[in-house]
Amino acid sequence: MSTKQRTGGTSGPARKSEFVERRRSDASTFEDRLWAELDEIPDPHIPVSLVEMAMVYDVSADDGHVDVEMSFPCMGCPAYDMIKNDVRSCLRVVDGVDSVDVDVVWDPVWSKDMLTESVREKMRNSGISL
Amino acid sequence: MSEWPAAAVDYVQAITDTKLVLGHRYAQWSLAGPSLEDDIGGSSAAQEEVGHVRQLFRKLESQGRDGDWLRGDRDPEEFANASCLDAIDGDWTAYMATIAPVDRAAWYMLDAIDREDMEGMITKMGEDEYFHLEYHDARLETLAAEDPETLQSTLEETIPSALALVGPEGLDDDPLVDAGFTNQSVADVRERFIDHYRDLFAETDVSLEGVDWDAPDADAWDETRRRVGEGGVRAEDLVQIRGERNAEFAIE
Repeated sequence: MSTKQRTGGTSGPARKSEFVERRRSDASTFEDRLWAELDEIPDPHIPVSLVEMAMVYDVSADDGHVDVEMSFPCMGCPAYDMIKNDVRSCLRVVDGVDSVDVDVVWDPVWSKDMLTESVREKMRNSGISL
Repeated sequence: MSEWPAAAVDYVQAITDTKLVLGHRYAQWSLAGPSLEDDIGGSSAAQEEVGHVRQLFRKLESQGRDGDWLRGDRDPEEFANASCLDAIDGDWTAYMATIAPVDRAAWYMLDAIDREDMEGMITKMGEDEYFHLEYHDARLETLAAEDPETLQSTLEETIPSALALVGPEGLDDDPLVDAGFTNQSVADVRERFIDHYRDLFAETDVSLEGVDWDAPDADAWDETRRRVGEGGVRAEDLVQIRGERNAEFAIE
């Protein structure tokens, strides 16, 4: 299989807004609040939040413990640890949260298709080509 | 994560160590290219290779490999990187003729892995590797016209090293295929690799007739380090890989 063939497979849903909404759709009221908190964390490179960037894949809370699944547009992201720390720091101060684990996953592979048109517009207005 | 066969851990370790040293070689040469475009391409590749290594370390740690050991707390002889990356002493042509076959071999080996829990990660790496390999081939073609002698003599050394990373020919059965860890045998990967370079240089001034396409000798092959012979990265490289000089600035 060539690199192109392997990358031409299932690399994410066709339309990103659906992706984020689907991932968030089964959140409890508390988990939805956590999603809202994460939506306040800015991407360090781009003027949108981590949630808008579709980097947050799942948030689950159980008896004070929160598991966050997230991915990165770039595997070699130099802000990898900083962003993970931002996620932990953001959620640890929420009432009802005792501990936070962040797991980086690659399935589905992050794709520009996950971005909404409004996010694309924000990025274009900041001079970032898509 | 389920436990891999021991041979699979060694296989991924060799890919990982090759990418680790490859990332450092890209970085070391990233401001020495003949053009700004080459410098930017090399810098980008360095960042991506180290990013791949970060994820592969996670996989290897899940299989019991010690994190500090992985990150460099070991002797050069404990690294399983492709041997031709131990040192690159030539000029830019020699550099390109060294990194290109190794990067391609490491990608083919990754692409051969058939694990559902690694599929997304490998696909993501493939997105990066597509551009690495396209760039390498384009550059090798221009160098084949500009500096064919250096290119040819270097490839005669580096292609056998890359083939040793893939593995020797003639093995009757492939334990990783038998275990379901890979879906392409060493023989398949070798054929894919050899065909690529024969085609790439077919219409150029570079002859690959002097390449030992049968390498490595199976009897002399070190199956853990996936090479023939001793050696390893230099002490100064290990200092850099470990980040020793800047250890006090590490973020915990």
